[in-house]
Amino acid sequence: MLKHKLKLAASAMVIAAAALGATAPAKAQSEDGKYKIYLSLSYSGNAWQSEAANIVKALAATPPYKDSVELIEVISGTDPQAQISAYESMIEDGADGIVSFPISSSALNRTIRRGCDEGVLFFMYDATVTESCAYNVSYLSSGFGENSAQALVNELGGKGKIFLSRGVPGNSVDQRHTDGAMHIFNQYPGIEVVAEYYSYWDDRTTQQETAQALAAHPDVDGIWAQAGEYGAIQALLDAGDRLVPMTGENSAGFRLGLADPAMQEKGLRGVSAGSPPAQSGYAFKLMMEILSGKRELKPMNIEYPLPWVPAADVKLCEGDSYENGCNVFPASRVPSSFVSEVLNTELLPEINVDSALDGTPVEGATIQPLPEAVPEASNLPGINCDDCEAPATLYKLTKVEATVQP
Amino acid sequence: MSNETATLSQTGDTRKAARIKRETVSTIAIAIICVLLLYLSRFISPALGSWSQVETVLILGSFLVVVAFGQGLVILTGGLDLSIPALITLGGVLSTAAVGAGNPDAWYLLPAALLACGFVGFLSAVGVVWLRVPPFIMTMATSIIVASAALGITKGTPRGYAPEAAVALMKSHILGLPSPIVFVICFVFLGWLLQERSPLGRYLYAIGTNPEASRIAGVPVTAMQIFPYVISAMCAGFAGFMLVGYSSGATLRMGDDYLLPSIAAVVIGGSSILGGQGSFLGTVGGAFLLTILGTMISAIGLEFGLRTIIEGTIILIALLLLREELFNRIRSIRRKA
Amino acid sequence: MTDLTQTATGTDAQPPQGRLAGQTFARVLQGGLIIVILYFALYALYFYQQPRALSAGSIAALMNNTVPLALAAAGQTFVIISRGFDLSVASVISVCNVVMAVYPLDGPGGAVMSVLMCVAIGGSVGAVNGFLVAYLRLQSIAATLATMIICQGVALVILNAPGGRVADWLSYELTDQLFKTIPISGLFVLAVVLGWLYLRRTSFGISLYAIGADEHAASLSGINVRKVRFFTFVSAGVLYGLAGFMLSAQTATGNPTSGTPLLLLSFAAVALGGTSLSGGKGSLFASVMGAATLMLLQKVLFSSGVSSFYTGVFQGCVLVIAVVFSGLIEKLGERAAKL
Repeated sequence: MLKHKLKLAASAMVIAAAALGATAPAKAQSEDGKYKIYLSLSYSGNAWQSEAANIVKALAATPPYKDSVELIEVISGTDPQAQISAYESMIEDGADGIVSFPISSSALNRTIRRGCDEGVLFFMYDATVTESCAYNVSYLSSGFGENSAQALVNELGGKGKIFLSRGVPGNSVDQRHTDGAMHIFNQYPGIEVVAEYYSYWDDRTTQQETAQALAAHPDVDGIWAQAGEYGAIQALLDAGDRLVPMTGENSAGFRLGLADPAMQEKGLRGVSAGSPPAQSGYAFKLMMEILSGKRELKPMNIEYPLPWVPAADVKLCEGDSYENGCNVFPASRVPSSFVSEVLNTELLPEINVDSALDGTPVEGATIQPLPEAVPEASNLPGINCDDCEAPATLYKLTKVEATVQP
Repeated sequence: MSNETATLSQTGDTRKAARIKRETVSTIAIAIICVLLLYLSRFISPALGSWSQVETVLILGSFLVVVAFGQGLVILTGGLDLSIPALITLGGVLSTAAVGAGNPDAWYLLPAALLACGFVGFLSAVGVVWLRVPPFIMTMATSIIVASAALGITKGTPRGYAPEAAVALMKSHILGLPSPIVFVICFVFLGWLLQERSPLGRYLYAIGTNPEASRIAGVPVTAMQIFPYVISAMCAGFAGFMLVGYSSGATLRMGDDYLLPSIAAVVIGGSSILGGQGSFLGTVGGAFLLTILGTMISAIGLEFGLRTIIEGTIILIALLLLREELFNRIRSIRRKA
Repeated sequence: MTDLTQTATGTDAQPPQGRLAGQTFARVLQGGLIIVILYFALYALYFYQQPRALSAGSIAALMNNTVPLALAAAGQTFVIISRGFDLSVASVISVCNVVMAVYPLDGPGGAVMSVLMCVAIGGSVGAVNGFLVAYLRLQSIAATLATMIICQGVALVILNAPGGRVADWLSYELTDQLFKTIPISGLFVLAVVLGWLYLRRTSFGISLYAIGADEHAASLSGINVRKVRFFTFVSAGVLYGLAGFMLSAQTATGNPTSGTPLLLLSFAAVALGGTSLSGGKGSLFASVMGAATLMLLQKVLFSSGVSSFYTGVFQGCVLVIAVVFSGLIEKLGERAAKL
């Protein structure tokens, strides 16, 4: 019996080793003249992450990149050590460029520096790193926190009890958004933050945490939410079938809710802003333009514009892309967790909703050149730069004006 | 055969006398702590400490109660189930997989999902029982595999909508009470029957205490060692189904919040991590204690770090109050008096 | 179980040389030979796929990446041998990491002070755990769960978002190589392993195994079970502090949740190394090798081009296969020892 088990285990090990070894060993540098591009993700289990990855895949499959780019996707999970190890492997493997969602703003710096020294281009999207030789493409500096907070204050007329639905604890993106929002809320003595909770940018967690907060404060007047905001709507409906003014990010469920007369009647008003997955496509295209010599750009922090769609501006799309100013797809086309800001007619005309859902390129599309100007992002110490000063106008309002004075 | 059964039940009876005293006492102690916490929460916010908070706690705690039942059975037989988060996600993903806008949901969805989860649990059990892989490692490996498989199948974004049955379970009302509360009451009763009052339950306690003696006494040890893993996996899958009904969709991290709380609920409830000791009612008490604590903590207006410290401290205090040595001391004091 | 029947029917006349050979074989296996073989086999596979794997820079990078987990697994081994679980590893590492990033101390003198700080933090949390488990008789999994939550809160209070900066001297020197070949971080691990090999023969080491194997028998033989268990947790805490120290040197920054991934990984590393999770047997060296194998596996999977989504399936399967394999070899060793 023992011998039998031993044989079983031994043969299993041999098979596993053979399977791993039989896969082609990594080539040092592509002999066929293709650019070796790695798409390095950390966490990947939600709609935002998969949409961002899918549009990069779709762009890499669109001519002329279809024949000149070899795109390899690597998922490392939430452990920074794993992403460090992945970056090192990519550098060893002779990558030309790495477009990545970094799990930490600073833990990866040493490895990135080593890669830059070997001539690898690093393009980070949405989340940023403080290493100066990497390019950061992010909307973080565009002030989601402060703009959405001011919009909420305007809706509430400067006073009321609010919830703060945050992201992941110990994360710099969440911290920047919240700092911006609190900067505005602190100016209004009539605004009281009665509950603050972490929703991990997840619909279900938002729903659960909001339900708990409602148990303690059923008379809430408004909610400031990061991603996962649709869960807050569900919690409100469960608790008392009434809604309140809310600002959130751009899930299809939230956007459609803002435009839905039934929900408006229950009290839903607000703005849909938040993080656009389209940043990954913009980063990829920028990187490819530099690699293929069409553009010269030194490493810098690049700002992606903040999406801003108040309830009145929500427009349903008929086709497969954002034409005629439409900005949300109907429920029959996408699930409620679909992150709407994944298409951009100006920067990414080559993709459509299927590219976001499945990574399929659009028939007959070719890569279009990006606009000449590349907007620079302001300094965010500890987020996109080290040893730098934040500008005096850090929390400047760009999308709304204060209609109520403190 | 009757001889052996007599021996088994005789051993069972002697243990039972001691068991009733200790485990009932600890369950009552947990209930007292729960009520105390509910009362204290009034000081945090005027809306707390009321029936609406109790209602929220009962609904939010229902998921943990279901999951802790399965975890409790596994721990009772001396194992540990780390695959619960992945199986919750699997249950949720499978429940929504076939339900789409043009696809009315079919009656076989839930049984199919439960069967799939049960099969995964069976595989874990095979690893533990026959390949002698430590339960910690086997269930951790199963968890990694299932989570990865779920990620691959959904390509990162679970689609599909919640089946009507799930929504009906979580969002409707029965006899004036929210249906999850009625469900919890039924589930606790059935779980208690299974663990404390059925031959199956007795076998599990026996194996947890002494597998060899049980084998000699005629308990079908192998089957009884496999059973808890299958049940735990199915409970986790069902919890996924419930969560899908509650939030109208599945997400890939929906199970993450339930691993450590499931272990904590079982341990606070008086079960020994080494097996053979514990009661389901205690576990239920532990689950509600943690849920009440969660609602209280989220209402405190301090920064997150401080709130976490407070939460950990209260759990520590609860553990200190509920520990076995204290009961023995109290019992010996009573005897002296 | 089967041991009883075996002894009962065992042969009486045994060739002395065979028995000695068998026992040596068993002892060597217990020391982690299997995992070492597995590690080198995996490394050979890695080299086959990626020729740059044997360069000094590659080896140093891999070692720097591995050392925090190796030290965490080393500390966890202490507790597991004594038949317990220690969940506080995650937050001790996080606390040490944020303290080092928020209060950086410059230069070599500062580095020494930082090490002492981390060791002190880890040791005191270990002391609290030890007190709760040994003297107040709480279950180790429950007590360390509570301390883990509390320490996580402390880490978030000290630093609520990634930031801060670890002292430059530390992060440059400790990730560098001696004479351009030997990674300095590796020397730390070597020191810990040597310390363990010495400790194992002292009365503390022997008592550690004894209380893990059979607590009752150990106390009857005169071992002060409570004291030994207390110092087990303190030793584990000290090693977690060191792990946090090395993690800070590698990432050069603070992150209040940096220790969380290491929780389950530390248990996986210990089990992979062949240490039994029910106590009484095992080896710190084997756990360190287990940690190294886990980190190496990431590299091998990457080079194999395993599809990104399904990496987990491979990792889980390899984990199970390796544990089964090492368990079987160990049984073989036990059988050999009885021949």
